[in-house]
Amino acid sequence: MIFAIFAPLIIAILIPFLSRWKEKVHTGWLILPVPVAVFIYFVQFAGPNFEPQAYSVDWIPSLDISLSFYLDGLSLLFALLISGIGALVVFYSIYYLNNKEQLGHFYTYLYIFMFAMLGVVLSDNVFVLYTFWEFTSISSFLLIGYWHHRQKSRYGALKSMLITVFGGLSLLGGLILLTIVTGTTSIREMVSQSDVILESSYLPLILTFLLLGAFTKSAQFPFHIWLPDAMEAPTPVSAYLHSATMVKAGIYLMARFSPIFAGEPNFFIFLSLFGIVTLAWGSFMAVRQTDLKGILAYSTISQLGMIMAMLGFGTEIALFAAVFHILNHATFKGSLFMVAGIVDHETGTRDIRNLGGLMTFMPISATLALFGTFSMAGVPLPFLNGFFSKEMFFEATLANAGYGGFSDFLVILIPILAVVGSIFTFVYSMYLFFGTFRGEYQKEKVPQEPHEAPKLMLLAPFILVIGVITIALFPGFFNQGLITHAADAVTGAENNRDIYFWHGLVPAFYMSIAVVVVGALLYIFKPKWDGVYRVFPGTLSFNRVYDWGVEKLETGSNAITSRYMTGSLRLYMALLLSAIFLITTTVLILTGGANFEVNDVAPITTVEVIVAIIMTVAAVATIFTHNRIGMILVVGVIGFGLAILFVLYRAPDLALTQLIVETVTVTLFMLCFYHLPNLEKAKQSITHKTINIAISSGVGLLMMVIGISAYNSRSFDSISDYFIENSSELGGGYNAVNVILVDFRGIDTLFEVAVLFGAALGIYAMIKLRRDKGAK
Amino acid sequence: MTNLMILPIVLPLIASALVAFFPNKLNIVRPVSMILSVIFTIISAYLTWYVFSNGTIVMQSGGWDAPFGISIVADPLSMLLVTTTYIVSTAAVFYAPSSLDEQQERFYFYTFFFLLVSGVAGAFMTGDLFNLFVFFEVLLIASYGLIILGNGKVQLRESLKYVLFNLFSSMLFVISVAFIYAITGTVNFAQLAERIESVDQQGILTTVGIVLFFVFAVKAAVFPLYYWLPNSYAVPNPVVSALFGALLTKVGIYSIMRVFTLIFVHDTGITHQIFLWLAVLTMVFGVIGALSTNNVKLIITYNIIPAIGFILMGIGLYTETSLAGSVYYLMHDMVIKGALFFLIGALVVAAGTSDLRKMSGVIQKFPLLGWLFFIASLVLAGIPPFSGFIGKLLLLQGGLQQEEFLVVIIALLSSLLILFSMMRIFIRGFWGEVQEGITTNRKKVRNLTIPAAILVSISVFLGIGAEAVYPHIETIANMLMDRTEYIDSVLKE
Repeated sequence: MIFAIFAPLIIAILIPFLSRWKEKVHTGWLILPVPVAVFIYFVQFAGPNFEPQAYSVDWIPSLDISLSFYLDGLSLLFALLISGIGALVVFYSIYYLNNKEQLGHFYTYLYIFMFAMLGVVLSDNVFVLYTFWEFTSISSFLLIGYWHHRQKSRYGALKSMLITVFGGLSLLGGLILLTIVTGTTSIREMVSQSDVILESSYLPLILTFLLLGAFTKSAQFPFHIWLPDAMEAPTPVSAYLHSATMVKAGIYLMARFSPIFAGEPNFFIFLSLFGIVTLAWGSFMAVRQTDLKGILAYSTISQLGMIMAMLGFGTEIALFAAVFHILNHATFKGSLFMVAGIVDHETGTRDIRNLGGLMTFMPISATLALFGTFSMAGVPLPFLNGFFSKEMFFEATLANAGYGGFSDFLVILIPILAVVGSIFTFVYSMYLFFGTFRGEYQKEKVPQEPHEAPKLMLLAPFILVIGVITIALFPGFFNQGLITHAADAVTGAENNRDIYFWHGLVPAFYMSIAVVVVGALLYIFKPKWDGVYRVFPGTLSFNRVYDWGVEKLETGSNAITSRYMTGSLRLYMALLLSAIFLITTTVLILTGGANFEVNDVAPITTVEVIVAIIMTVAAVATIFTHNRIGMILVVGVIGFGLAILFVLYRAPDLALTQLIVETVTVTLFMLCFYHLPNLEKAKQSITHKTINIAISSGVGLLMMVIGISAYNSRSFDSISDYFIENSSELGGGYNAVNVILVDFRGIDTLFEVAVLFGAALGIYAMIKLRRDKGAK
Repeated sequence: MTNLMILPIVLPLIASALVAFFPNKLNIVRPVSMILSVIFTIISAYLTWYVFSNGTIVMQSGGWDAPFGISIVADPLSMLLVTTTYIVSTAAVFYAPSSLDEQQERFYFYTFFFLLVSGVAGAFMTGDLFNLFVFFEVLLIASYGLIILGNGKVQLRESLKYVLFNLFSSMLFVISVAFIYAITGTVNFAQLAERIESVDQQGILTTVGIVLFFVFAVKAAVFPLYYWLPNSYAVPNPVVSALFGALLTKVGIYSIMRVFTLIFVHDTGITHQIFLWLAVLTMVFGVIGALSTNNVKLIITYNIIPAIGFILMGIGLYTETSLAGSVYYLMHDMVIKGALFFLIGALVVAAGTSDLRKMSGVIQKFPLLGWLFFIASLVLAGIPPFSGFIGKLLLLQGGLQQEEFLVVIIALLSSLLILFSMMRIFIRGFWGEVQEGITTNRKKVRNLTIPAAILVSISVFLGIGAEAVYPHIETIANMLMDRTEYIDSVLKE
């Protein structure tokens, strides 16, 4: 199994090397066998006697991350969709994409996606699942941006990435919480501990995180806005990622966790509500689209909403219908995308307003589209699989029981919105078919003379339409081989449901009839009422929220950052010091660390006072001096005052050092400053000055308080006693300071010398480089 | 073996002095520097392996036992970071000749380079607070030398801010060492830990600890103390930015990690809670900075800041998991920041501009550069299975275990925005129609890309091959939480 999952990745890595032959053979042919082989591998498992399979390899065992794969019915259904539709899409793309395109890139991204998606649906380890999940987002990003010279592609790619990765990160948060609550990283073990999860106080947070992940990925309202823009990708990608597989990852996730959360009221409320609203909104919006792929994108959104809602219902029939519809949707929507691609390919436009009357030019495509659209609309005919699952969906909407409160209201709302959504579904399905293939052919608006596509290009959608019909005609075969097992995995129990066409005159049937009748009327009178779309600003408003958000992120960040990153040293210092002052003072107060006793401090003599006063006056004077030389002299006074203090504290060597340093620096400064212009007086408002004075005196006072408190808090013997005692005996010198410098702490001195070495070289380099430049 | 532990500090110092004698003989200095760097890396990797298998080794310098002499402590954390430093700096030596012009190389680039490495290694390995100050000075003086290479007007203006802020923090450092010495009578880490524990970190000690935190926080570029960083890192040559971005701020955050897991750990309700808030603000403001500009070098520079936020978050949470996350993230960030600065340097050469609005379509001419940048962006944003993910996963786990939900949510959002800031470069700079003025000097771009490729590969390995590394990180986190091994190995030998 692991080989089946990794095969697409291995091929993806090899593709750049294959491109050598691409002059002769379309790369697609070379790599087509891979998804076919993977499909054959997985299809072997299907059948009435299916048993789940597990396979595991260690990856990072110390973090409890292992490549453990588990193939149950749900995974099998998805794996077959991924490999099966994958194979068809690759086959279709051979005719869709020209040999002159960067095929190597295209197929590399596509196969990385295939690998990642197989990984998502087969991983049992949550972190591995998350890894694959992000990889589907990334490969989707690359595929949407495949024609990256188009501005719209780049826009769509970024949008899909931001929204899906946002969801991905949220998912990560939820998964980590689940591992913390259950103590395991295996989904199967989590399912077995579902009561622990349901009783956990983290439950609301877990649900929020997971739902955000699923809703963004599966384009649920209001996160659906990325999907229409993702249509910038080449059509095979739209058919594959953005309709059949990747957008169902969120659905898969909810189905996978359904055994844990089914029956949890909030899970029911949020999934059903968002799902059913997405269904209604998506189908309503689809009618207003003019781009064929735009219609299909909103249609996908709406269908995903329907499946999501059914997962939310959580009843046995709803879950069964959900997995059934996953399969059906993949078949009819896949074929429709491919037909839309063919129309685009053969006429040069996808704008439905320019199309019409193509039936005569493209009869086969039209027939394929007929089956696809009617199945999508849920027209009650025994050879359209869409009707079977739609009927079950209606049945499920009526079978809900509320949990009190809002959920009771929701139970009533669901069937209404379901019917409304389905009516619009019917309308846009009819619009899609009749608008493209019937009506007047508008010669002047179609860029290319339309003709039927090559036979082999039609083969992939043809196979999918065959799927639509056979599933409808032989539901039992698919049911026992696949769907029941998938439903078992979702419900966590045995399913014994039969799929049949005629249910009798049950309420669901009346709902279907109502949808067809009202839908047909609405379609016929569409020009009369489609003015409502001008009243509704539409999803554009959510797009505007996104665009506004992204733009604000950049301009807002710029505004915030340029507010404090002004380049003004004075402002930086003021901000820095006030932060230090505020936080340190707070800590000082909180810990009660201030110990401001002066009893223990050495007595202050008159000489010290005088020196201190001189130093203070000099320090204050620096602020008011505007002459550089004068300033240096005043600073020099402080330095020499310090030297006197050292003398008074009986540290003659320090005093000497200080004197030398001070003399040298003052002289050097004088030499340099002689060449510099006079200082400009900084213009600052009184408020600024006051604030700056407050900050600096605050910091100064704080340091004094800490210093005196530190002095008063001496609690240990200093290690200096050791140095004094042992300097002559062990260090061989009578001056303890010298011995410390060269022996006890010799490394300090060594590296201080290195510092001087660096400083000297730096200055030399600076002067020399400057002189060299001047010489040029 | 004990005495050999000084090698990672002393060898580059010797090399630094050695290459200073031949500033103009680049034909010799370049290969010698490269060979020496590789040899040093191998030596330090061997020493690291030795420490990982045999436990902490302490060298008491001059034979003066702790706490009287200076202890050089080769514990697993220090050695891990030293080796990472060597790997990144070796890549930098190979990057330098293509990135710098010859005149800049002649003005003692290699001398300052080795001096910087020596200072960084020393800061990671010393077990003595005052000695840490000395190594800070060493790496700072080297960085002053590097930042002014080339003498550009903008460079000098920004380096002045850099120097002033660092001088300020050095001054504060000395003051706080004085405070600490006044209270405890020692500057040896291990003895400080013992003594402060014995008085339960009473009274003024927590406050002094916070002052010390600010010293390191200025260097680590924690909010709100990083004003000096963005411009002064973006202005110099990319190889210098890479060294700074990969190493200097990391020394600051390492020091916080060391001091606040070993010494000041008895009032975490106050200190570490403050760290957590500052970590959150650091992430937020850092990533806002990264989104605020169209200068690609500045975007990467700002991205240093949220990474520091992540590491600080782990320290603030102060659990074994979160510290493991911090250490993993620290190691990963050193490698990937080096790689990103290299790549951006190559991008600027390729596009002939650092203004994002003027570049486009670079990937069509330089696909390897483009894809490396793409992968590096994913690594930086913490997308699995790359190295950033492992650290982030541990940090998030730590955060959620401590029920710091807000912190975790902000960390998640910052990851998204980090990715966004990187994708802006990828979409606008690499995608699109090929711009005008793209360089024809393919060889130079290739030479700049290769060192980056090596670092990116290491990052990928640190993610996919995490099993080879993580157990050691776990050991380190264990040792950080249980301080006895460090203290005992320094004081009782």
